[in-house]
Amino acid sequence: MRAFLQRVLGGKQGSKNEAKQRLKVLLIHDQVDLTQAQMEQMREEVVAVIRKYVEIDDSGVDFKLDRGESGVELAASVPVRRVHARAI
Amino acid sequence: MSECIVITSGKGGVGKTTTSANLAVSLALSGKTVVVVDADIGLRNLDVILGLENRIVYDLVQVIEGECKLKQALIRDKRVPGLYMLPAAQTRDKNAVSQDDMKRLVQDLKALHDYVIIDCPAGIEQGFKNSIAGADRAIIVTTPEVSAIRDADRIIGLVEAHELPEPDLIINRYRPGLVERGDMMNREDILEILAIPLIGIIPDHQDVIISSNRGCPAAFDENSVVGQAYRRVAARVQGHEVEIPSFETGNGLFNSFMKWMGLAPVREVV
Ligand SMILES: Nc1ncnc2c1ncn2[C@@H]1O[C@H](COP(=O)(O)OP(=O)(O)OP(=O)(O)O)[C@@H](O)[C@H]1O
Ligand SMILES: [Mg+2]
Repeated sequence: MRAFLQRVLGGKQGSKNEAKQRLKVLLIHDQVDLTQAQMEQMREEVVAVIRKYVEIDDSGVDFKLDRGESGVELAASVPVRRVHARAI
Repeated sequence: MSECIVITSGKGGVGKTTTSANLAVSLALSGKTVVVVDADIGLRNLDVILGLENRIVYDLVQVIEGECKLKQALIRDKRVPGLYMLPAAQTRDKNAVSQDDMKRLVQDLKALHDYVIIDCPAGIEQGFKNSIAGADRAIIVTTPEVSAIRDADRIIGLVEAHELPEPDLIINRYRPGLVERGDMMNREDILEILAIPLIGIIPDHQDVIISSNRGCPAAFDENSVVGQAYRRVAARVQGHEVEIPSFETGNGLFNSFMKWMGLAPVREVV
């Protein structure tokens, strides 16, 4: 009953979601065989290229590997603040 | 037509031997003839799970090296017609056997029996390669834990690289109480990650330990939930459509509330 009340009153979430999230990341990296450091480097290089053309909001950059329909997918979300005039 | 099924997992200790023994017993109980092969050379185990350890005369390596005839090495289980075991060698190492040896052995066993079940050792080395060499299909055993599922994913890739059909999945040591509390991944969570067909869920249960103490697999016991779960796996192996229950305890959030209100039937806790 205490566990029940704890949950109803918004106690902490079960640990399975953590397990699932960790697994998803783990399996992708097992498949792709890139280290966290290499991922970080790729992210920086890609962002640097984009920055040549548009002004971006660095804090909002989301760059990750994910499991898609046809295997591993690279998903990047880069918020653009302003498009440089010379790029147009 | 005979079929060879390898029971594998990658990670050690997740229930391959338990599954091999119980699946073999269940198939035999349903009227098939079955031989279950201990491919864990050097770490013989299946014999004690089946309670046949005192009857071993010859082993798999001796068959392959021609020291005895295949039929001489097969131990017949007297508890059910049509069940045989081929023991592993205890004092040899995995390199005593090659993939071609295993292919030939499986061919010979398939000529004698409806099903050949191979109990694969842990890992992805020689013992694993030998075990899948002659197999027609694979069943992957995992537990609902991060490390076991990670290894299962790796094994699925290796099985498919060996040109076997898409393997089936058994989730072992499932604890419905933990699942309902949100502290264990449920079947949907695991299937979302591994994306292969589910063929059975086996609860984490004392029957496994008691039956291994006795050398009598739970599948022999009609009343055992573990035995029932394995007999359902055997039915699915033979292509019959049977449900795969998740063993709810009835202690989940909704049920707790209903019980508290005096509205829910109290179900047996596994
Ligand atoms: N469903 C279950 N409920 C309770 N205990 C279990 C269950 N399945 C397996 N076990 C226990 O887990 C242990 C390992 O099981 P088992 O020997 O079948 O695993 P394995 O995958 O064959 O191991 P190995 O990789 O060493 O060959 C045993 O002690 C067994 O009793
Ligand atoms: Mg084993």
